[in-house]
Amino acid sequence: MLANQRLEFTGNSNPQLENPHQDSPTHPEPYVISPELKKAVNLAIYLRRPLLLEGDAGCGKTRLASAVAYELGLPLYRWDVRSTTKAQDGLYEYNAILRLHDVQTQNVVQQPPVAPGNAAETDKDEDEERVNRNPANSKHYRKFGALGKAFKLKSCPAVVLIDEIDKADLDFPNDLLTVLDEPWEFKIKETGETIRATYPRKDAKDNVIDCRPIVIITSNKEKGNLPAPFLRRCLYYYVDFPNDKKQLQEIIEKHYKIREKTPPPSALVENAIDRFLSVWNEGGLFKKPGTSEFLDWLKALHTFEPKPYNAAKLKKDESLPYRELLFKLQQDWKKYAKAS
Amino acid sequence: MSSFNPQELITRALIRLRQSGFQLGVSELLAARQALEGGFGETPEELAQTLKILWCHSPSQQSQFDPIWESLQVDSTSKQPEKTPHKKPKPETHQESMEKPPEISSSPPPQDAVTEVKSEPELSSLPIRAPFTPAKTEDTSALQAYYPMNRRSMSYIWRYLRRPVGDGPLNVLDVDATIEQATRQGFYLAPVYRRQERNNAHLLLLLDQNGSMNPFHRFTRDLVETALYESDLQPEKVDVFYFHNVPATSVYKDLYLTEPIALQTVLAACDDRTSILIVSDAGAARGYRELKRIRATTSFLFQLKRHTSLIAWLNPMPKERWIGSSAEIIANLVQMYQMDNNGLSNAIDIVRGQHLHSPF
Repeated sequence: MLANQRLEFTGNSNPQLENPHQDSPTHPEPYVISPELKKAVNLAIYLRRPLLLEGDAGCGKTRLASAVAYELGLPLYRWDVRSTTKAQDGLYEYNAILRLHDVQTQNVVQQPPVAPGNAAETDKDEDEERVNRNPANSKHYRKFGALGKAFKLKSCPAVVLIDEIDKADLDFPNDLLTVLDEPWEFKIKETGETIRATYPRKDAKDNVIDCRPIVIITSNKEKGNLPAPFLRRCLYYYVDFPNDKKQLQEIIEKHYKIREKTPPPSALVENAIDRFLSVWNEGGLFKKPGTSEFLDWLKALHTFEPKPYNAAKLKKDESLPYRELLFKLQQDWKKYAKAS
Repeated sequence: MSSFNPQELITRALIRLRQSGFQLGVSELLAARQALEGGFGETPEELAQTLKILWCHSPSQQSQFDPIWESLQVDSTSKQPEKTPHKKPKPETHQESMEKPPEISSSPPPQDAVTEVKSEPELSSLPIRAPFTPAKTEDTSALQAYYPMNRRSMSYIWRYLRRPVGDGPLNVLDVDATIEQATRQGFYLAPVYRRQERNNAHLLLLLDQNGSMNPFHRFTRDLVETALYESDLQPEKVDVFYFHNVPATSVYKDLYLTEPIALQTVLAACDDRTSILIVSDAGAARGYRELKRIRATTSFLFQLKRHTSLIAWLNPMPKERWIGSSAEIIANLVQMYQMDNNGLSNAIDIVRGQHLHSPF
């Protein structure tokens, strides 16, 4: 019975649920997934261990999370990590100064304080900006972060994307680890609450629901390795550039189909892929362009000028058109600038 | 595939991988078992893929995994004697099915098949040439090379070198003080801010460059970079100078040893709270015991000690190799540690003024 209820990601960008969660992405995500990555995603969903994605920039690490969330109809909470981010920021923030401010202004204005009895009904729409805050209720001043929101869900799990984890402080992954493990809970010290992911729980129809978040983490390995205990807990997948003509073609097809735009003429697509892959495989590049750069480049070839770029000309051209889209380093840029 | 016993295979794989330096624990074993129950390892190939996702955390680990997994499966088939009789009839059945097409094609294929079958039971001499095994092109050098400490632990340990002084910008909100002030005054005026704390520690790094230190340049470079950019130290409070073998009357500002600066000038900027860390093999890499070097180093160390006693020496050579070289004698004059996690953290303890047992 558990197996029937199991969430499974198939990668065919059709939503599985008819009424997805309100925080679920509204637009389908054109994402071509390899069988190995699909397996890694499903394993992460099944074991509820964080999935760590590494790979070059622009190969679709970040996109995967919204593809998963869209297909399964699950809410997606994105957490962009910055150099100053602390692990607690993803759980909640507490605005003590606002509470103090409210106490003072209420003394002046002499508002009748809200009876503490209806604290329970105000619990419902916590995520919205409050207008009627009551300083007597400390819960009015906490705001949940991406992980905090995911822990609070009662009916379905959420997909949490922790983007570029390596940007944060050294301790960040270790701090995160204590939350993403048994017993799946954290404490809010200002209110004394304990927020706990609901699992395993049975709903009215006796189905088991597992509301532990599905965590997808991306890393660029910019600042060296992540700590070993953290890696041990994660599932690992290295996202490679799709260095294959067929795969690239599939990506383009899916992209234009889902975005409902007319695809470029097939001759142009084919020659663009050939040209791009030959540049990519030739070597000697300091920073290789990724899939997203390729798609941008193709779009420029197709629609930047009133007429699409001549496919035959692209094949023969000495210089690469729109190379500013592909090369982001001076050396690479100069290398392909010979004939221009 | 009847002999495929995933439970047992997982356990053996874990043990083998741990022997090869993979950091895996019991919870990883349990996770693998759970994945197996969930149907993620029906065939050996699927199981291998699952374990790869679960247990390998870098592309180089993934490439290490494959040969280990193959060797495990070979072991499991050879260990079970009842498996071998099953295997023998197999080529025969293949041969029987092969015999039909040869009637149409030319004769050589069946002969080949016959000789193959015959050669199996026969005792033949061992091949002289080793079987060709193509080398992996993936870079696993980082895992197999001598790697006393990694960058991450360096920047981690640097954090202990701190002398916090609250002289930063006035931007840290003090919630407790704000509330206290409001209650005392009876009304709330403005939040109370504290000054940001800054690390006021001053570090002088003296690095031996070139010659016997060549193999360790990677580590000294990491040490400098982590101290400058990935630690709590303020970059302007980290002074890095280079020397060759022994710091003489002048040291160098750059690692190519082209911009000299007088040692006196460098030391003039030091006070008794400056932490001095010297990184050199002290002759241990080549095992020399040179009186000249020891003398020069001694006079240099005495000169340093006039300014500060927070001096430690990091030696990239392991301690066993110091014996008999000049390093052994120099280690008596200054706190010398080998360059690994423990060594660096001990050295940092010394240069921040803790557990100071000076030999003098």
